[in-house]
Amino acid sequence: MNTSSSRVYHREIAEALDDTFLRRTLDRFAVEYRESRDRVFREVDGPSLIRAIADMKDAAARDLESLYTRFKSEAEARGAVVHRAETAAEACAIIARIAAGNNVKRIVKSKSMTAEEIGLNAHLEKSGIEVQETDLGEWIVQLRHEGPSHMVMPAIHLSRGQVADEFEKATGEKQDHEDVQRLVKVARRELRPKFFEADMGITGANFCIAETGTVTIVTNEGNGSLVNTLPPVHVVLAGLDKLVPSLDDVLSALRVLPRNATSQRLTAYTTFLSGTVPCTKAPGGRKILHIVFLDNGRSRVARDPLFAQVFRCVRCGACANVCPVFRLVGGHRMGHVYIGAIGLVLTYLFHDRAIAKQLCQNCVGCGACKEVCSGGIDLPALIQEIRARFAQEDGSPLPSKLAAFAMGDRRLFHKLLGFMRFAQKPVAGKDGFIRHLPLALYGRQGFKSLPAFAPKPFRALWAEVKPVVEKPRLKVALFAGCAQDFVYPEHLLAALKVFAAGGVAVEFPVDQTCCGLPLTMLGEAKTAERVARQNIKAFAEDCDAIVTLCASCASHLKHGYLRMLGAEAESFSAKVMDFSSFVHKYLPPEVLPFTRRTEKVAYHASCHLCKALGVREAPRALLRRAVEYVPSNEEESCCGFGGTFSAKFPEISAELMRKKLANVAASGASRLALDCPGCAMQLKGGADRAGLPVAVSHIAEVLAESL
Amino acid sequence: MTMIEQFVERAEAVSAKVVRVRSGTEADAVVARERERAGVSGFSVDVIHAARGIASTGTCVVEADEEATRLATLVPEVSVIVLRTSDLVPDLPDLAPFLRERQSAGCATCTSFITGPSRTADIERVSAVGVHGPLELTIILVED
Repeated sequence: MNTSSSRVYHREIAEALDDTFLRRTLDRFAVEYRESRDRVFREVDGPSLIRAIADMKDAAARDLESLYTRFKSEAEARGAVVHRAETAAEACAIIARIAAGNNVKRIVKSKSMTAEEIGLNAHLEKSGIEVQETDLGEWIVQLRHEGPSHMVMPAIHLSRGQVADEFEKATGEKQDHEDVQRLVKVARRELRPKFFEADMGITGANFCIAETGTVTIVTNEGNGSLVNTLPPVHVVLAGLDKLVPSLDDVLSALRVLPRNATSQRLTAYTTFLSGTVPCTKAPGGRKILHIVFLDNGRSRVARDPLFAQVFRCVRCGACANVCPVFRLVGGHRMGHVYIGAIGLVLTYLFHDRAIAKQLCQNCVGCGACKEVCSGGIDLPALIQEIRARFAQEDGSPLPSKLAAFAMGDRRLFHKLLGFMRFAQKPVAGKDGFIRHLPLALYGRQGFKSLPAFAPKPFRALWAEVKPVVEKPRLKVALFAGCAQDFVYPEHLLAALKVFAAGGVAVEFPVDQTCCGLPLTMLGEAKTAERVARQNIKAFAEDCDAIVTLCASCASHLKHGYLRMLGAEAESFSAKVMDFSSFVHKYLPPEVLPFTRRTEKVAYHASCHLCKALGVREAPRALLRRAVEYVPSNEEESCCGFGGTFSAKFPEISAELMRKKLANVAASGASRLALDCPGCAMQLKGGADRAGLPVAVSHIAEVLAESL
Repeated sequence: MTMIEQFVERAEAVSAKVVRVRSGTEADAVVARERERAGVSGFSVDVIHAARGIASTGTCVVEADEEATRLATLVPEVSVIVLRTSDLVPDLPDLAPFLRERQSAGCATCTSFITGPSRTADIERVSAVGVHGPLELTIILVED
């Protein structure tokens, strides 16, 4: 992405959405990647290995200086020269000096994201040096004068036909436009002589082992090894974040990196290079080896209590592979130099803040990246923090300020919501949607029908609907959440029936207010904390569990509160349970037998439930008890709502929603159950607008009908 | 599954050809056959020895300090690696003592882990072998 202008960014997104090749390729990739990744991870204890990488890299970030010193002395003892560049420009200058000092005219390069970060090729070419990319994908994008669109598969956005066109231009010969195997051989034939002619080779590094001054390079094509073998001079460019203490750390991390990057147990070539090995073309018969470490903000980041975790990144690219936005728009619009969720964060830390600001808005917050990250980086939280920092630096925009002002005071907030219900009266239909507005007024939001406020919010109904449960087995406090309180009180009413049938007494503490997640999303941290404290106070009375029917509220009450308030939120957060988990755990068939109906019901796994809270089995088990549950494709893919995301990027939100609804329709289900009112707004509205014969219900409603 | 069986399965899964033999003489015979076969296609063959093998990944670990050894793993169309079953280790972490001993000696070393022939999926994610390195990898597994 090369621009910070919102209008231009949206135009680029529109172009990407119209690129049918890109869409088909990334769609297939998203599905196949998940399957093949699962297959190779079954052989190892993934979570422990990922934890080990996280711990090892966290320690490396803390010990950065001593690791660097150790590496330098070990590598230099073995003949290498180690440099350290504070900035991108300095790194370029050091490498240009090495080239000049060795009278270098031609350079062969293997893929290095760090070289992309510092704009190395352009810098060297300015001094009249020929720089040849030798990784197939990198060569293709070099021919096209563009950057990689994926950290591992740089040319994933291009078709074989486009590649053949570039090869025709480069070779002056006719090329096969269909046979990929032949195109690959073109690269072999064209590039082979370059390795032999080159005066210098440049590679990146995957790990730099302090213990022995060893550089580890992980590749598949063999070009990396040719680059570091044939030319007399070898320059390794590595970020300081590549430093690790020991060999054991690398051997352990190698069980994750290839599996996560390309679903391989190990790549074709993994090289451990220590010092200056014999080289025929080098003067004196020994390779000239320079290792250039790039800081470019890394030592500052290493000391940052939150952002230091980016040191855990091993550049596997998995965060892009599972990102629903990447899948729709490709890496050139979901990254700057680095691609995917980590790309958003690294753009903020190492590159252009204006670009980062734009990019960080384009995260739907589904949490898929965090789940697959090789180092367990909390990417959604980092992206969220960046948004909050921008909000603070800029001063909140008016809508955020208003939200903070209104939501900070429960009485005012609830009065406002009541007023909005009154104000919409002329346009609200009887079916719970806004019906009497001309479509033109929806603008880009027209892909879904918008819900109307309920005639009476749940809090106003509470006194009349409060169930009386004799000798209750359990007592729960209900956290309603704004969307269900004011838009979908029917979800809560259904839950009351299920609770009553299961002998569960319910309290509804009326002083409860918005969970505060929207405030956190808007970067209004102070008000978010105030609201959290208000809720903790409102739920002070003893109960067995605090149950919410909203997956987003549940994840915020459980994790967000702990992040914000620490120990102060512990006992509250520990009690919070989502509705499905509660019913599944405490109301088993012997306590609450459902009458199983024959209705075919599909399930949408809300991101905040399955990814943020890891709740997967409970809702499906409940559906199997109550109805005929029909699995559908990609149940865990995001519906595209993402809170304010759907308003900021309606074009992407609409596509995610369409894909989701198409999968549901294909399952043959007549109803879709879910655990979150946000997803309900999106999917109910989308199904209505598309005229899809699928009802969308909260799982509580489905269960209540089977009592 | 024994370590040997696992090695064979995992190496074959990445398009390596594994030939199991019982003696050096048998290994020599396989090498001769490979040369003959490659000669028909006009392919060159290089033969090297692996110091270790990793069962869980089907990997040959080569002491590639000498330039000739490194080139033998890269330049010919057909790469033949001879590996003794007694040099197999179960998994990556088990290689630590071997690597540490090599790298701690204080002199320059290069150790190559080779897992199947060179490959790419850079064009439309279509898997292709033999990009820059060998098109074929034959592992002669000598059971000792």
